[in-house]
Amino acid sequence: MTATMRTSPLAVAVAGRKPELREVHGMPVPARFPGERDTWKATIGICDVSALVRAGLKGPGAEAWLAARNVPVPAAANSWTHAGGGLVARLARTEFLIEDGCDDVAAARLRAELQAGEPGVYPVIRQDCALALAGAAVNELLVQTCNADFASQSAADSIVTLTQMVGVSVTVLRDDRGTVPCYRVWCDGTMGPYFWETLIGIAEELGGGPVGIASLFADTAT
Amino acid sequence: MKLLRCPVNGVRPVSEFAYGGEIRSMPADTCSDIEWAHYVFNRSGVPGVKVEWWYHIASGTWFHAERDTVTDRVLRTWLPGDLPPAADGKAA
Amino acid sequence: MTFSTQRPVTAGAPDIGASTTPAPPGRLPVIAGEWIDRTRRLAFTFEGKAFSGFDGDTPSSALWAAGVRILGRSFKYHRPRGLLSMANHDINALMQAGPRLNLRADVEPLEAALNLTAVNTHGGVDVDRARLLGWFGGLLPVGFYYKAFHKPKALFPFWERLFRRITGLGRVEFDAPHVRTPKRYDFADLLVVGAGPAGLMAALTAARAGAKVVLVDENARIGGSLGYQRGGNDDTLARLRALESQLAELPNVSVRTSTLAAGWYADHWVPLVDAKRMTKLRTRAVLVAGGAYEQPAVFRNNDLPGVMLASAAQRLIYRYGVKPMDNAVVLTANADGYVAALDLLAQGIGVPAIVDLRPEGDASDLPTRARQLGIQVLEGHCVFEAEGGNRLAAVVVCPTDADGRPQTSAPQRIACDGLLMSVGWAPAAPLLYQAGTRMGFDTTVQQFVPRELPAGMFAAGRVNGVFALEAKLLDGERAGAEAARFLGFAATSRITDRPTETTSPSHPWPIVEHASGKNFIDFDEDLQLRDFYNAAQEGFDNIELMKRYTTVGMGASQGKHSNMNAIRILARIRGRTPGDIGTTTARPFFHPVPMSHLAGRGFSPHRETPLHSRHEALRAVWMQAGIWLRPEYYAAPDKTRIELVREEAAAVRKAVGLIDVGTLGKMELFGPDAGEFLERVYTARFANLKVGMTRYAVMLDEAGVVIDDGVVARLAPEHFYFTTTTTGAATVYRELQRLNAMWGLRIGIVNATGAFAAMNLAGPGSRAVLAGLTALDLADAAFPYLAVRIGEVAGVTCRLMRVGFVGELGYEIHVPADQAARVWDAIMAADAGVRPFGVEAQRLLRLEKGHIIVGQDTDGLTQPDQAGLTWAVKTDKPFFVGKRSVEIVRKGAVRQRLVGFDLTVAPGGPVPKECHLVIRDGNIAGRVTSIAWSDALQRHIGLAFVEPDLAVDATPFFIRADGGLMVQAKVAPTPFYDPAGARQKLA
Repeated sequence: MTATMRTSPLAVAVAGRKPELREVHGMPVPARFPGERDTWKATIGICDVSALVRAGLKGPGAEAWLAARNVPVPAAANSWTHAGGGLVARLARTEFLIEDGCDDVAAARLRAELQAGEPGVYPVIRQDCALALAGAAVNELLVQTCNADFASQSAADSIVTLTQMVGVSVTVLRDDRGTVPCYRVWCDGTMGPYFWETLIGIAEELGGGPVGIASLFADTAT
Repeated sequence: MKLLRCPVNGVRPVSEFAYGGEIRSMPADTCSDIEWAHYVFNRSGVPGVKVEWWYHIASGTWFHAERDTVTDRVLRTWLPGDLPPAADGKAA
Repeated sequence: MTFSTQRPVTAGAPDIGASTTPAPPGRLPVIAGEWIDRTRRLAFTFEGKAFSGFDGDTPSSALWAAGVRILGRSFKYHRPRGLLSMANHDINALMQAGPRLNLRADVEPLEAALNLTAVNTHGGVDVDRARLLGWFGGLLPVGFYYKAFHKPKALFPFWERLFRRITGLGRVEFDAPHVRTPKRYDFADLLVVGAGPAGLMAALTAARAGAKVVLVDENARIGGSLGYQRGGNDDTLARLRALESQLAELPNVSVRTSTLAAGWYADHWVPLVDAKRMTKLRTRAVLVAGGAYEQPAVFRNNDLPGVMLASAAQRLIYRYGVKPMDNAVVLTANADGYVAALDLLAQGIGVPAIVDLRPEGDASDLPTRARQLGIQVLEGHCVFEAEGGNRLAAVVVCPTDADGRPQTSAPQRIACDGLLMSVGWAPAAPLLYQAGTRMGFDTTVQQFVPRELPAGMFAAGRVNGVFALEAKLLDGERAGAEAARFLGFAATSRITDRPTETTSPSHPWPIVEHASGKNFIDFDEDLQLRDFYNAAQEGFDNIELMKRYTTVGMGASQGKHSNMNAIRILARIRGRTPGDIGTTTARPFFHPVPMSHLAGRGFSPHRETPLHSRHEALRAVWMQAGIWLRPEYYAAPDKTRIELVREEAAAVRKAVGLIDVGTLGKMELFGPDAGEFLERVYTARFANLKVGMTRYAVMLDEAGVVIDDGVVARLAPEHFYFTTTTTGAATVYRELQRLNAMWGLRIGIVNATGAFAAMNLAGPGSRAVLAGLTALDLADAAFPYLAVRIGEVAGVTCRLMRVGFVGELGYEIHVPADQAARVWDAIMAADAGVRPFGVEAQRLLRLEKGHIIVGQDTDGLTQPDQAGLTWAVKTDKPFFVGKRSVEIVRKGAVRQRLVGFDLTVAPGGPVPKECHLVIRDGNIAGRVTSIAWSDALQRHIGLAFVEPDLAVDATPFFIRADGGLMVQAKVAPTPFYDPAGARQKLA
């Protein structure tokens, strides 16, 4: 990762709440919001995890390219797997999203290698607004914002869902934090501020709100 | 039709899709100007089973759907280049 | 079982024991299973008078208990109206509570401090002055508004105002508070509509088989007729309690009361409407067990307060503990009427007579039991008319002949304050109809029943023509098992076919003619029997025509209590059966749904570029560009918009400016066939584009119409990066994917629109500013005009393109979104002279260069030759999208051309605007697409489509400006500014 300071698509959207910021992979993100308590676990907590480093690629050769680099490749379309502290998601059939955990560097390495160019392997620049929607009541947020049936999925299904929430195209997968249900959601960064404000507004009506990355990811780099 | 089966992403509400028109083959270069104009401007409104382009927006997937425009039921869907599956007659 | 309701009630809650306080007048002693909580009093007002009821009451039940008998006034004649169905199958008691309109007082929960008024009255519900209209009823024949008041035309507005005043239902309050009504989605295997005996059994059966079941009922509690058709004992209540406890053991059933399944949409989408919101339920199957609406008998003054459906009286008793009347005659044509009489007797209500329309009477032992209890049972009799002023005082009963006609020679007058009507039922089948069920008229039950159900649709109970309690339970089990098997679960049932009834619960002709009329068919619309004969006589003798002419079923209760009788009448008029006549089309919604529910939460997505916060800080004035927000210009104290736009433009011309162009579509194209792909989708040549260079690109559709433009850069032999218009990005990306799905070229397209930020640093000073931030060699030889380079700017790897859209030396810098702010900040900090400029200044600057904006200077018919883009179209290529059309169009005459023009405005004279028309000899000869004042040129300049013979340099033409004033312009060559392009190519 370059030393360049990165900016989250939600930097301005969260600033008004005066969170305590922490730099993750060169990007300051909220580590904790003022007055934040563990109540979100029983309701809904929304966390900006845009700082996690991602690599994207697609093309007929993408699967073999990843396998050659010992990246675990989910076999089925729209499925995903953990990889180190991060994850590898197969989007539709021949596109992949690799996201590092807070301390990993795999995606960063793959991204650099992708620049070399290889037949049938095309790099996809990832500049997502990435969120974690967590908490026991998160399904109520989902059914008010999305027409896909997440309640019938379990974390063990390892399903990736490409759908729309509040009018925004999103990639969604379920990755619980311990016993707390948690969905990971990625959308276009330029949609991020609208997406965040809309979800936070509904979450707050339902008794939830924003949470910092330190609450969800104990392994957050400091 | 309120639901549509994307061959990759499964059954989704039709609001997740964009319609791409009936699949029609472009006439050869040797066609007359009249034939070309017919291809560009005219669409058949005759009700019946048609093969259409549909696009799943969130995943960027184009696919073919065989739809009966009389009943507005989709008989089957498949990816371009794949062979169409057996029609099950059910709504996708 | 999960249980949701809008009211804090629990299914199977223990009934309240002996109350210490005696029942208030109008209330019965505590009834087992009643819905009211006698410990919680609620005070409210109706028509300005204070009342109180109990928690669990509805306004109607509380008012009836208090002795109020006039709950509303009828729509046309303003007749006094009391209770009819007590089930929202009529709108006699339609009320308003402040901003809450259309409050259905029969069913909506009573709340503390409600201030209710009856709608559609003049001077209050008791003395409604408009009741006088009733005396002139003869002047208001059916369809009168199609005939009357149209002549003389000048008076029509007067009549319109008058009728709007006297006929409206409720009054809109414009300061109504905003109510949040978020929609939600839900998912199930099976939706069961109606939680009566059939629905409960169906839900139990399907859920036991493993299906995820949603059971909805529009009532506040489940049970349906088990709760109120008791026959004077509590056996059915015990059955209900047993079913409830079985349901409670099943975690896969969600019970939703006070919830309406409001319609059926394709693929089993059903909106579930409750007091707070609409839930869009996606289910795999729907089982309709919605029961039947009890139907009124038709006789003179059948709308007098005190005349009500038998089920209404039973609901009053068993749900609300309200005494419906003191003495009631029961008019019946089925066993249900006898059961209702037993219910009345059990509560100490007098039943002087049961009037049975059927000459043979009831086949069961019920008539005998009734007689033993001292009730006079009159078989083969009818109620000829009801008497009373504002409430029922007596009924006139007489025998009928073989055809059911009243024999008025020996009328019997029976004093009573109540009349129960139990003459038949109509199926609550709208959802079945909407789903495409073929219904047929079954003469054994005198009812439309499902004959052929579409896949995934099921029906049980009364809607299926099954009325006996045991049969309904069996039918529910049968349908529940069928639904479960359809869903792939194993399930069996004791019966496999619909049980058949031996006697009809509905009378084929519960209608009595009367010379003086006022025998109402449709209580919403005040339609009388003779209106139907008149309509038929005038030729409206098809059910759909009759509905529209008479407005039967078009009122707020949507025919629930009137359609069946209308069909019977039309059948008799035409000498056919109801089955021949058929029903009107049932459309969603089954019941009116508040607009706020339909609106839900408003989602209006917008996009912000990664530099949004920088523009905010610089006081950007925002404009919408498609889904994006863009700075139109940057505000400054004491300066006008036009001054600021000109200053921003001047800064670019004279020094250096910086604009955010991140809204442009940005695509990456990889692969061995990438060059070939671009050859096919754009009009120019790209296979020969050198690595490190860019080229302007125009995209056509198959009709040869310009649909998009942009710049294509070649970063590597198999890697292109290109831009599209801001509004075209999504559709262009989509279409490119579709084209390659057809062509199968070896390429990969990535839509990087949101992933890259982009800014254009433009102006004679741009190179100097950039030089301080990058190690790239910016010398013209190393980085010439139209070249693209990858290099670091302020430590961030960027893609830089030397472009000339605004006509000055300039660099379009594309940078990954997360580092865009850093680059912008570095540029702004590098030189205090860098002036941010907005979209409006850019539009002026590009106009000075004569560059078109696709979509503004072109329209849905513009061919490239018309827009001066011939140079960018290479028809010597073997193929590109739209090529054949361009070639064909070139054989004919061009209809219009886009030209530059300038004009001199007289001091104080009008300045033409975009879209003003070019006029020649009084005819339209074109239109202005762009126009602006150019400071650099000191004159107005613009682009316009004109007829081809005008498209010659220096040709004068006229534009019709605001106020019809003609302004002379003349064709001028473009670019207006720096025609040789020396400035953008600055070495």
